[in-house]
Amino acid sequence: MLISWRLASHDAVLVQTRPGRTDMESGQKNTGESAGNRGGSQSESSRKPISEEGGEIRRLGKRFRKLDLDGSGSLSVDDFMSLPELQQNPLVRRVIDIFDTDGNGEIDFIEFIRGVSQFSVRGNQQQKLHFAFRVYDVDKDGFISNGELFQVLKAMVGSNLQDAALQQVVDKTILGADRDGDGRISFHEFCTIVGELDFTKKMVVDV
Amino acid sequence: MEHRLIICHPLSLFPDVWLTLVFGFLIVPAVFGLPFGIHKYYMKILLSIFEWTTLQMELKAKEKNHQLYKHYTSGIIVKVPDSTLKQEIQDLRHSTGCLSLDTRFELADVFVFCRKALENIIDDDVTKRFSAQKLENWNLLTRSNHNFRCISLKLLASWFLGVLIRYGVLLPFRATVAVTGIFLFVVLSTVVGLIPCTKLRTYVSDKVHLMGYRLCVRSLTGIITYHNRENKPKNDGICVANHTTPIDGIILANDHCYSLVGQLHGGLLGLIQRAMVKSSPHIWFERAEVKDRRLVAKRLRDHVADENKHPVLIFPEGTCVNNTSVMMFRKGSFEIGCTVYPAAIKYDPRFGDAFWNSSKFGLVGYLLRMMSSWAIVCSVWYLPPMNKKEGEDATQFANRVKAAIAAQGGLVDLIWDAGLKRTKVKDTFKEEQQQLYSKILLGDHEYQNHPES
Repeated sequence: MLISWRLASHDAVLVQTRPGRTDMESGQKNTGESAGNRGGSQSESSRKPISEEGGEIRRLGKRFRKLDLDGSGSLSVDDFMSLPELQQNPLVRRVIDIFDTDGNGEIDFIEFIRGVSQFSVRGNQQQKLHFAFRVYDVDKDGFISNGELFQVLKAMVGSNLQDAALQQVVDKTILGADRDGDGRISFHEFCTIVGELDFTKKMVVDV
Repeated sequence: MEHRLIICHPLSLFPDVWLTLVFGFLIVPAVFGLPFGIHKYYMKILLSIFEWTTLQMELKAKEKNHQLYKHYTSGIIVKVPDSTLKQEIQDLRHSTGCLSLDTRFELADVFVFCRKALENIIDDDVTKRFSAQKLENWNLLTRSNHNFRCISLKLLASWFLGVLIRYGVLLPFRATVAVTGIFLFVVLSTVVGLIPCTKLRTYVSDKVHLMGYRLCVRSLTGIITYHNRENKPKNDGICVANHTTPIDGIILANDHCYSLVGQLHGGLLGLIQRAMVKSSPHIWFERAEVKDRRLVAKRLRDHVADENKHPVLIFPEGTCVNNTSVMMFRKGSFEIGCTVYPAAIKYDPRFGDAFWNSSKFGLVGYLLRMMSSWAIVCSVWYLPPMNKKEGEDATQFANRVKAAIAAQGGLVDLIWDAGLKRTKVKDTFKEEQQQLYSKILLGDHEYQNHPES
């Protein structure tokens, strides 16, 4: 799948080319397939008309350019930290790290759209669970280890809990979640614990 | 020879006609406070023109088979109404099917933080207050034409006509009025300052000040509606209002006499300031004195204590914001301990956006933009006076006043400091969130037993 983008003087236009698909510019109708379909899951998501989706991408494009303070074409951590409400969020660094799929320390437009789409109305439950899993899985090895869980919890509580008490909480959680006894939590175990259904519908950002 | 005279004659009439028009219709009525009269019709005509342009754009959009791209003035995402961290986590635990709400930690808790982070990444509440608000319909000014791509020939023609009218007719008229106004004001104010008798001097200087502000307002075609005039500030207190533009002071002072507070500038502005203070006691500070908070507070207190002096006009936000919200009020003015008379100012952005984005234009550029807009339309509400309650500190009092102003003006009440335009947030906000979450983990009763490590 080849995705290229072109920043016009007033807005960002996502031009997606793929064999068998026509070029889709924001606002134009045609094939009826949704733009935000990553991984091909089309079942549970609500269908919006193409023109609305083009509008979504356009808005996100504008937002991206507004956040990109130095005009470099990608967002650094500093660009994100210019938002006062983000500065107060204890997990913001983890979220940025998840967006940054290629690990270069900056978020380009494609990573931005991909990251946001996981929380969109069209994203499915699996994506959201995976997102939450990756918050904990700092080294991206597919397992949540004791140390990683401790690290993330520490970020959430700051200095309000003593390390010993925190370690207790971590150990208890891993004990409760670990089915195969390897001392860490895999994605499958994570999904079993975190439960199902409705809550993922609430975890939605409707652009 | 004769035809040359015939040609020259009308041209030589032109400046005379112009001056007569300006003086007759604008300046003289403004000096004596007579209403101009056609404002209502002017606004009605403009509004129907704007509706026509939107219709044209929608038609054009249909032709091209686009969806007309409209700005969402309330932000680009649908947001959950304000709920606390505790509530959100409890809701989350409910829906994951947790049987006991007392369980200390749940792996799913991160979802709440993630969703908040994403909401803020896509559309945060703060940074959009520092740029001009977007309009849903186009008002024939290119400065508010963000992304309207469906422009037909008819629209282009009407836009061009608009440009001609605004820059060719309105701007020169307004500039003349402004220049005359400032000149008259400076001269008269200095003259009035020479009157020995205090009572007479105060009376005449009030008239002169009001005339000066009226001329300034006329020069911007300001159409102001004052509500609740019975709550007008009295001499024993301070007047506070939300701040959108340097013109705010002129708009309020158009209706009642205030004493202004500020730094003494150089140049033309300094000249005007010095002339003003000759006839009426304004509080101007030298640059060095501004940093000294106790000195500022003392001067304010002395001024307020004197019954013969007018109420002081203060803008506690400290800097201009774009009139969609009210940001944190600095507590300095609320520590004086006198009565506070709040006022809410709301501009109608359809006729011209009054917000001064100081990072984009300087003051002169801003004034030119103001003078080449259609009009400055706003509403001013005078709110009933407020006093500090028993056991309330200055910050709580300031927040109470801010909430009242926001409610009256239909603005969003934000806790964020307008100074964040230029600085970063303090770490205490993040620590607060961490504290809140820790409380949830431990359960409230246990939290008291575990003091912070």
